Amino acid sequence: MELNRRSLLAAIGAGTAAALTGCGTGTGTSAAGSADGPAEGEITLLTPIYEGAKGKKLLEGDILGGFRKKYPDVKVNVDYTTYDQLNEKITTGLAGGLLPDVLMMGVGWIPPFAAKGAIAELPEKLAETHDYEKRVLEPSRHDGKLYALPVVLDTRIVVYRKDHFAEAGIRKTPANWSELRAVAKQLTTKGRVGFDPFSINLRQCWETFLFANGGQLFSADGKKPLFTDARGVESLQFFKDLVADGSADYSRKTDTGAPSNVQTGQGSMMMTTSALWVQVKEQNPELIEQDKLGAFVLANRRPAMLQGGTLVSQSASSKHPAAARALVEWLATPESILGAAQQRGSVPGLRDLSDTPYVKENQFVDLSLKNLQHAVSEGGTAAWMEIREKIVPTLEPAIVGDQSAKDAIAELGRLAEAAIGRM
Amino acid sequence: MLMVAPALLHASLWIGLPVLAAVVLAFTKYDVLTAPQFVGLDNFRDMLDDAVFRKSIVNTVVYTFFTVPFGMLLGLLLAMALHTGLKARGIFRTAVFLPQVTATVAIALVWLWIYNPGNGLFNALLSFIGIDGPAWLSSTSWAMPSVILVGIWQGIGMKMLIYLAALQSLPRELYEAASVDGASKVRQFFSITLPLLKPATFFVLITSMISAFQSFDQIYILTDGGPANSTTMMTYEIYKSAFREFRVGYACAQSLVLFVLLMGFTLVNRRIMGGTRGHS
Repeated sequence: MELNRRSLLAAIGAGTAAALTGCGTGTGTSAAGSADGPAEGEITLLTPIYEGAKGKKLLEGDILGGFRKKYPDVKVNVDYTTYDQLNEKITTGLAGGLLPDVLMMGVGWIPPFAAKGAIAELPEKLAETHDYEKRVLEPSRHDGKLYALPVVLDTRIVVYRKDHFAEAGIRKTPANWSELRAVAKQLTTKGRVGFDPFSINLRQCWETFLFANGGQLFSADGKKPLFTDARGVESLQFFKDLVADGSADYSRKTDTGAPSNVQTGQGSMMMTTSALWVQVKEQNPELIEQDKLGAFVLANRRPAMLQGGTLVSQSASSKHPAAARALVEWLATPESILGAAQQRGSVPGLRDLSDTPYVKENQFVDLSLKNLQHAVSEGGTAAWMEIREKIVPTLEPAIVGDQSAKDAIAELGRLAEAAIGRM
Repeated sequence: MLMVAPALLHASLWIGLPVLAAVVLAFTKYDVLTAPQFVGLDNFRDMLDDAVFRKSIVNTVVYTFFTVPFGMLLGLLLAMALHTGLKARGIFRTAVFLPQVTATVAIALVWLWIYNPGNGLFNALLSFIGIDGPAWLSSTSWAMPSVILVGIWQGIGMKMLIYLAALQSLPRELYEAASVDGASKVRQFFSITLPLLKPATFFVLITSMISAFQSFDQIYILTDGGPANSTTMMTYEIYKSAFREFRVGYACAQSLVLFVLLMGFTLVNRRIMGGTRGHS
């Protein structure tokens, strides 16, 4: 190997990083770990879902219980985390050469990790094993190749109080933003906001509005940001307009898990996920019993529903690729998917499950499944991991500060271009 | 040489090597997934264009400017109060020091409840006197003062402890002589106590400043740097660059800037205060 400045620096950098962690360097760069041979060995699963005691019981008791029966020679160690800390776990795992064998990730995460060779390509036949809704597999692909299987979907929809609508004499849900703004204004009273778009992550909320306004995040090749056009600006401006009207208030957003504004009656409409149904059932079951909650898909130039969710992928550097592959497939079976969806109030992405009692009973999940043709996902560029972190800090000053929507979107576009340029 | 070898080895491995790694990586593009690439000063140039990082420097300085002097003043006052023959002073000392030894995450969660605009302690108390309290952590005006208050409260214990130890070592005969000369308690404080506490004050100032510059946990739990970057700090931006954006090289460059800033402030303080030398 020829020794030059670049190779010397690479050796020092990687060597010191490795020495710091006491382990080898990051991942291999092979695109696909061979999964031939018997499924055996000890593997690790990193998961940001299956939260709490119920989730742990579901995963380790029901789901992995069945897996152990089928693959008695595979031992699975589970590493639980949250989405907020998933990046840290993966970063430290990569730096220390200890990347878990099976990784559960969010929508949008596949291209960055696939592009760098951190996760293994999966055989295309896995896409046909189950009856997936067509677009559900799109976030699992990079460059047309399959890298992950969907476990659960989380959609962003608008939930509203039917009783507030009835009191105000509003008979139909808003079909576009003009109607939404007018209805939000009409529903706003002292102590109540007409619309709460801010109690979900601002990034995902703005994206939903962008898609509903006919906009896109990136070009098909992921190399150019497209959200910098008028549609992206209008999407952010809409939040500013709502705040100016007094029908939305950034400071009144509620935390995840806390009773939301539509539950407490302090909001008439809100952006939320399908998981709110489970939360309402636990915290305010009377709202469901009295049929006080409704939901609709946000629309302006087009109806759009952001489709997030959790995917399962296989590390490219797994020492037990056959065992890891077997677990990936197992976590994506209809039984495993239904259990995970029920536990989190998420949407199962398989057609086989669309008629199950769970789907029929959870109206938000049912609505989401009926509108999957309007689903759009975030991501689509190898630089997504960096860009996704820039969205909230860049857009928030426009909502709570004096910055214009145009300037904030332009700044975000500049940051996105720089991030893509570094790829 | 043989005697210092273990310490030298320890320092080289756990301090020298990470510092060297950080300095080297600061000049590279390194995302953990692929080998580092030398990019010269690109990371530092990017930093000049990074409005959020610039904002984080300002926030860090503001946070330090308020937490350190106020914390020191309160720490000194508490130390003086506890230096007297106060009954049950052991309990008071423990109570004041408790926040220092409690996990910041636990403390931050309690403060999260105190600041809750709906059912938090502060707004509940304010409602008794007819004031509709603000959304402390979601308001760009109130978020930073709220975080500063937590910082002051948490840091008082250590400052008090150092001042208390210093107070207990001051020679009694100076006070006796001053009393004989008719010096009042206030005069004794400004002419004897304060000058003799100079080395302790320098130590408290430097350690508090370093600690304030490295504040992370409370931001991570309380505000996530928001709203609108009003509470983001340098360490929080470094964390985001490395662990959320996979820009380890850039994070190392940011760390280098933090290091240089801290070194600069320390040298300036040393020059102004004369270091840890006692009052001559």
